[in-house]
Amino acid sequence: MESTSVGGSSFEFHTMHAYRAIQHGDVDTVAIIYGSNQLSASGRTLGTGGGGGGRGGMAMPLPMAYEFPTGLTLVGAYAMAAQRHMHTYGTTSEQLASIAVQTREHATRNPNAMYRDPITVDDVLSSKLVADPLHKLDCCVISDGGCCIILTTEERARALAHAPVFVRGAAGASTHHSITAMADMTRTAAAVSGPKAFADAGITAGDVDMFAMYDSFTYTVLVVLEDLGFAPKGDGGAFVTDGGGNLRLGGALPTNTDGGGLSCTHPGMRGLFLLCEATRQLRGEAGESQVEGAEIAVAHGSGGWLSTQGTVVLGREPV
Amino acid sequence: MPADWTEVPKWLVPRPTPEDREFWEGARRGELRIQRCTTCGRHQHYARMLCSHCGARTLEWVTAGGLGTVYSFTVIRQNGVPPFNERLPFVVATVDLDEDGARMIAAMPKVTPESVHIGQRVRADFRPAGDDLGFVDFVPAD
Repeated sequence: MESTSVGGSSFEFHTMHAYRAIQHGDVDTVAIIYGSNQLSASGRTLGTGGGGGGRGGMAMPLPMAYEFPTGLTLVGAYAMAAQRHMHTYGTTSEQLASIAVQTREHATRNPNAMYRDPITVDDVLSSKLVADPLHKLDCCVISDGGCCIILTTEERARALAHAPVFVRGAAGASTHHSITAMADMTRTAAAVSGPKAFADAGITAGDVDMFAMYDSFTYTVLVVLEDLGFAPKGDGGAFVTDGGGNLRLGGALPTNTDGGGLSCTHPGMRGLFLLCEATRQLRGEAGESQVEGAEIAVAHGSGGWLSTQGTVVLGREPV
Repeated sequence: MPADWTEVPKWLVPRPTPEDREFWEGARRGELRIQRCTTCGRHQHYARMLCSHCGARTLEWVTAGGLGTVYSFTVIRQNGVPPFNERLPFVVATVDLDEDGARMIAAMPKVTPESVHIGQRVRADFRPAGDDLGFVDFVPAD
């Protein structure tokens, strides 16, 4: 049993731990499962219900006891980070919106996606502001959903019916718990987990054919693109929009080809869906959304308040 | 017209711990109490048992001057929890205190969203949270 709980990135940590345990010979086969009826049970209040730190009458752990009475929401915490990035690097709302637009374009090809109608940058900017500078369409959807991945030994995997996909490297890192303690809101622990996972996998950012990224908000994608080295620090906005959109099919880094949390599914935590979509791509099972010739994919989970980051590198061949 | 922030429903009343009672009671007296580490000289908010900068246990309580700079902020326009749902929109800011190392997240109930910017100088403003406890908000320094 493994129950590491670090928000939406938990599943990248589970994968890392399972990978190591199988390598070490402790276990043969591991199932990582997730299911949630967030939408049916709670409606669409996730992220604006009050900080995410507790409900009325419930003892709140520090430092939520300080943030909750300010009226800060989970969306608001990410919004402050986005605002700081815009101030420091000149990132624009249009660049953030472009992430939502390109992700929706992927969703139009996925019959299982929650929202499939194409949207424009203007649609994003004219959607309701939830917490400045983040608009409704800068935020992930609330859905129900579930999935499962199974990890096993290379020998066993090669004997199974489906083409195996290999974990090539994995790493996790954390910088803080609540947003109060995030020293630099424009840099996440992905700047630590990414290089470690890439070194483990024997790759560089340029080798990555497809990116499955926890898009809780458009800003989450932007800052992690920089932290993983797909774009220099501060240039994430330009990277996203260059060449008509680098996150699209045919772009430099097709990202969230299932439509992501922004348009496809987000039942509270998205980390496991990232591994599923990356696996579909590497198996060549992604249909209309297929990234041609995909050999290396990265699944990256971000949990908490940009607190905890987990990077998993998958490949069609082992290291 | 900014909304009324004087009401403190029971689910917002702080529940001080032995470690942080000083902060909440200081705020009721109009004092911003933070921790200073006598080993490294840096400060921290909220209260912890160890220095978050150097790990030492040598923490003492000091009264901050109350001045700081807006590191970032947001305008909360959606919050389903009462009474915040009746106060929309309102500003929440991350403030770096002049005391090195100390950062706070605080509401700015008395300002309009348009009047806040990163780099703005702000000062602490105190609001009762009960007979013995208080909240720390921020207002423009000038």
